[in-house]
Amino acid sequence: MMEGGLIGTGLCACASLLMIGISLPAHADDSSDPAREARWIEIEKTIFGSRTATPDETIVSLDASERAEDAALVPIAIKLNVKAPVKGLYVVVDDNPAPIAAHYIFGPAAYPEAIKMRGRVNSYTNMHAVAELQDGTLVEAVRFVKASGGCSAPMGMSDEEAMQGIGDIRLKLAENTVPGKPAEATLMVRHPNFNGMQMDQDTHGYTPARYIQTIRVTDGDALVFTLSGDISLASNPVIGFGLIPQPAGQLTVMVDDSEKAHWERSFALPTATN
Amino acid sequence: MAGSPGQVPEPDGLWQGPMRSETPNSLKGATVVDTDAFTALRNRAQTVVLDVAPADERPASMPKDMPWMPLHRSIPGAVWLPGAGSGSADPAFEAAFKTEMERLTAHDRDQPIVAFCHPQCWGSWNAAKRLVNLGYRHVYWYPEGFEGWQNQHDTLVIEEEPGWETTIHAARQE
Repeated sequence: MMEGGLIGTGLCACASLLMIGISLPAHADDSSDPAREARWIEIEKTIFGSRTATPDETIVSLDASERAEDAALVPIAIKLNVKAPVKGLYVVVDDNPAPIAAHYIFGPAAYPEAIKMRGRVNSYTNMHAVAELQDGTLVEAVRFVKASGGCSAPMGMSDEEAMQGIGDIRLKLAENTVPGKPAEATLMVRHPNFNGMQMDQDTHGYTPARYIQTIRVTDGDALVFTLSGDISLASNPVIGFGLIPQPAGQLTVMVDDSEKAHWERSFALPTATN
Repeated sequence: MAGSPGQVPEPDGLWQGPMRSETPNSLKGATVVDTDAFTALRNRAQTVVLDVAPADERPASMPKDMPWMPLHRSIPGAVWLPGAGSGSADPAFEAAFKTEMERLTAHDRDQPIVAFCHPQCWGSWNAAKRLVNLGYRHVYWYPEGFEGWQNQHDTLVIEEEPGWETTIHAARQE
């Protein structure tokens, strides 16, 4: 039933205009390129120190569309094996200046089976999903993504318009939830997530960075997940996630941004009547 | 202000408006090249391939423990002078640009130079314009830029041209 359980965010930290490579002649520039492998080793060392990640499709798999119509919204799907003791998940866009696009820490109320997100991709790049297990073991999946230019793409509106309703939090839940039975939810946060590389269409200056740093979702006292982001989160992130509803639970969403603003909203879980 | 594709007139001088917006289809005194023409041009040994794309800047509010690992992918063989596409009228900047280009071309005004950055990026238009104004006789502008190249060819991670940062920094101090 969690087939559609999503955790969706956008990722990006880059500087170029929208362009997508769709029909591409074959060339050697892919995930196995030695320079790209060297880049990953450097990132891995920076994030994880001496620990290295091993590919294991039975625990984590990553799919990213190469046929995105919009490079600012490249669909990314991550599947995790819920039987594995997964503690957290890193989503890394190798060629981004801030490569960690998202870091999720899952709590006891999480059911992170399928994670979907839409990412912004600047240049053709490897993308990694790294699952961290309870014992610290790292398991990875990699995908080469051929889309580019989604990063400094303007939002198609003025900054003033983009700021309207900032901090508005909405949540879509399955109609009925049963405590203990996995359910899916979709979280929408209104926030421009300016990455500092977009240009204000009115003033012609670069809009200063202002972005969501953490999103924390709890169900009663139990953590569902904490998401740490940076300039890589897209505008108005949409985050679908799976959870295990707690008895007498109430979902609380807390959002903090780089300007120290804090927003919080609680939602009652609709429970089945029979 | 930004204009529509194909309808942007050439400014009289350097462009000082928004650097990322629609550009003209032409540049007086220079030749506009598409990816095929650029590829042919690049294969000529003497051509200076000039990348003027700006460098990524770390937002001041980013936490110190958040890895910041900017990397610049470009066209193999390109010389990267971040910010060289500025429309600045500052004489110190103009002098720094002139000096650097004379170094790269060994003072040969007949040496072909092709400027690029990204699509809808005025930086390469400005750099090419500046080169025309400096008396270079074979100036090319590749408006499809890095993304146009990347669609058909391999890319390479390159470093900023040594000395450019010092040169430009010194120019700004004057």
